[in-house]
Amino acid sequence: ILTGVSGATLEKNVYVPSPTTVELTCKLDETSNLKNPQVTWKKESETIGHTSKTPNSWTIQLTISDSSKLGSYTCILKGEKEVSAVFHLQVPKIEGKEKPLITYEGDKAVMICKAEYDPKAWAWYMTNGTELVSIDKILPTEKFQIKKLSANVNRLEILKLTKQDRGIYWCEATFDLGKSKARFEVRVLSITAPLKPFVAVVAEVAILLTTIILFEIYSKMRGEGGEKEFDQIEQL
Amino acid sequence: PAPAEAGRAPGPPDGGWGWVVLFGAFVSIGFAYAFPKGLAIFFKEIQGVFGTSYSEIAWVSSIMLATTYGAGPISSILVNRYGSRPVVMFGGLLCGVGMISAAFCTSILQLYICVGFITGFGLALNLQPSVIIVGKYFLKRRPIANGLAMAGSPVMLCTLAPLNQFLFENFGWRGSFLILGAILLNCCVAGALFRPIGARTALVKTPVTEEGKDALKGKITEDGPVESKPEEEGGKDCFEKVNQYLDFSLFKHRGFLIYLIGNVLMFLGFFAPIVFLAPYAKHTGIDEYSAAFLLSILAVVDMVARPATGVIANSRWVRPRIQYFFSFAITFNGACHLLCPLASSYTGLVVYSSFFGLAFGMVCAMLFETLMDLVGAARFTSAVGLVTIAECCTILLGPPIGGILIDTFGDYKYMFIKCGAVMVLAGTFLFIMNYYNYRMLAKEEKERKTKEEGLKSVRTEDEGKKNWNKDSTQDGPELEPLREKGEEVKKEMNGT
Repeated sequence: ILTGVSGATLEKNVYVPSPTTVELTCKLDETSNLKNPQVTWKKESETIGHTSKTPNSWTIQLTISDSSKLGSYTCILKGEKEVSAVFHLQVPKIEGKEKPLITYEGDKAVMICKAEYDPKAWAWYMTNGTELVSIDKILPTEKFQIKKLSANVNRLEILKLTKQDRGIYWCEATFDLGKSKARFEVRVLSITAPLKPFVAVVAEVAILLTTIILFEIYSKMRGEGGEKEFDQIEQL
Repeated sequence: PAPAEAGRAPGPPDGGWGWVVLFGAFVSIGFAYAFPKGLAIFFKEIQGVFGTSYSEIAWVSSIMLATTYGAGPISSILVNRYGSRPVVMFGGLLCGVGMISAAFCTSILQLYICVGFITGFGLALNLQPSVIIVGKYFLKRRPIANGLAMAGSPVMLCTLAPLNQFLFENFGWRGSFLILGAILLNCCVAGALFRPIGARTALVKTPVTEEGKDALKGKITEDGPVESKPEEEGGKDCFEKVNQYLDFSLFKHRGFLIYLIGNVLMFLGFFAPIVFLAPYAKHTGIDEYSAAFLLSILAVVDMVARPATGVIANSRWVRPRIQYFFSFAITFNGACHLLCPLASSYTGLVVYSSFFGLAFGMVCAMLFETLMDLVGAARFTSAVGLVTIAECCTILLGPPIGGILIDTFGDYKYMFIKCGAVMVLAGTFLFIMNYYNYRMLAKEEKERKTKEEGLKSVRTEDEGKKNWNKDSTQDGPELEPLREKGEEVKKEMNGT
């Protein structure tokens, strides 16, 4: 039930959450030089026939029943030049956080995993060296809390953070046709980390304030010999 | 004795230490306007951590904005009483304390209090006094000074936005709030530069004030009813007391009322386009970075437009008719919004952003200058407080109404049309009313002249004062507003 592609070499990602029928269309731009090209549809290296044909567009229909049917489908248009477009049929991706999550000792870390389609199941893992350790099944609930915010949003909370809690965490969503993973990096800082810039800025403020106050006192002493009116006003 | 003393007091320096004060005001105003906008970067993260909805987080910004504008009269009262310097320094301290405590918050409600109220109030104590003191230090070059001081806002925003991003990526939101608290303490430094100057209303008033002050002090420090005389006088003076610190007689001032109505109307459509520019761009299919770039264009044009407008407004041709220039700027702004729906491509939006930045800068640069021009430097302190609390309502209503329009119609163009229409209306209103005001002022001036010529005894002194006024202003024949200001200051002295 999906998409068309026109023009030069292109790629497109098609996400298939559950078994369904998919239509892929390759459309040729009217301004293109290719006239009446020879069209082949390929999955990886194997050739498949096309089903419908209209002037300048070629379609195939696929029934995606299991994960073996997923993959890269290419349409190749051969004339004087060869033009192709690739459709990547895959399991939906889920959204994690590319940038590291900065947290502090004693605070809590919150990781929210989002998917565009509703998966059948969610799972969380943490990396211990090179192994993936499942969180929901093994680990204690005072430390880890998993909440389901909605069918397609899942949330992991890690409470009472310590330095050992830092590392990579994985959120895994299981769809009918396969699994998808998202990555989170958690960094645990000690409270002294932001204190250094904080103290630096406060010191800068203190220095500037002292300088200004001293300058004001100095110029007041100098101006004392001047008009009385200024004095009256400045005493405010 | 009092009027004569005030008459001899030196006029605004228009330079010298004034430039230092201007720098301080630049920093202070910059923080006051830019800081709430810069916080938006942290909201998504905080939303996730506290598990709140987007609108609950948006309340933090709204409370902060509402407090900054709503606390205007309090700011005015404090400045009238203590002068700008201590108020700004206390404001800076309050901001710092607010953000530092926000770093340790564990619920959204605590954030409302720490970031919303405390920091918001601190920023209010920064904004108004800074604007006020610029008016006290500059007269001839005041439009330029105002333009430069208001330029602090886009400059600070351009600095804060990447800084906040950097802090967030390295220290998370808690660490960032802590460091931002320290950075806000720099407002104290800015405030320390605000050396007091000029005749102050509290000084000039008669001895009744002294008793009134003591009565008030007595009332505050002692909880129980204060017996005998002080109480009686305190009761009578209470209204006078408030009136002394916050000049409610401004509501009888024609120019002030015109300004108030026009501005309150204008703010209904002023901020919404900025809030919705990036979402609108994304809605038309533009990617996130290009959409953010539109705001950058706006900020850069804004940065240049403000001092430039100040210079233009200061010129011989524009200054006497500055109210017309202001009305023009508002109408221009409105016209931009009305034309925005016609811009469908990215280039169109870039053009819109540039013109919007220009118009926005023009209006902001003259926002306070025109008020000063209408009411005079002496009453400006109270005027600005009263104006900001009135604007507070429409400022808060603007973006949500725009949001409702967008949600109802599913199309951004109605929001732009609404904003454009409101601003064109406000601009036209101000234009017409100010034309009327100028005519009335000219008439009153003529009446006053004929009256004064009749009084021979004070004639020489008046001429002396008028000559002083003439000398200290530019060589333009039609500087009615400036002379009118001189008359106003005189009027106030004579009035007490």
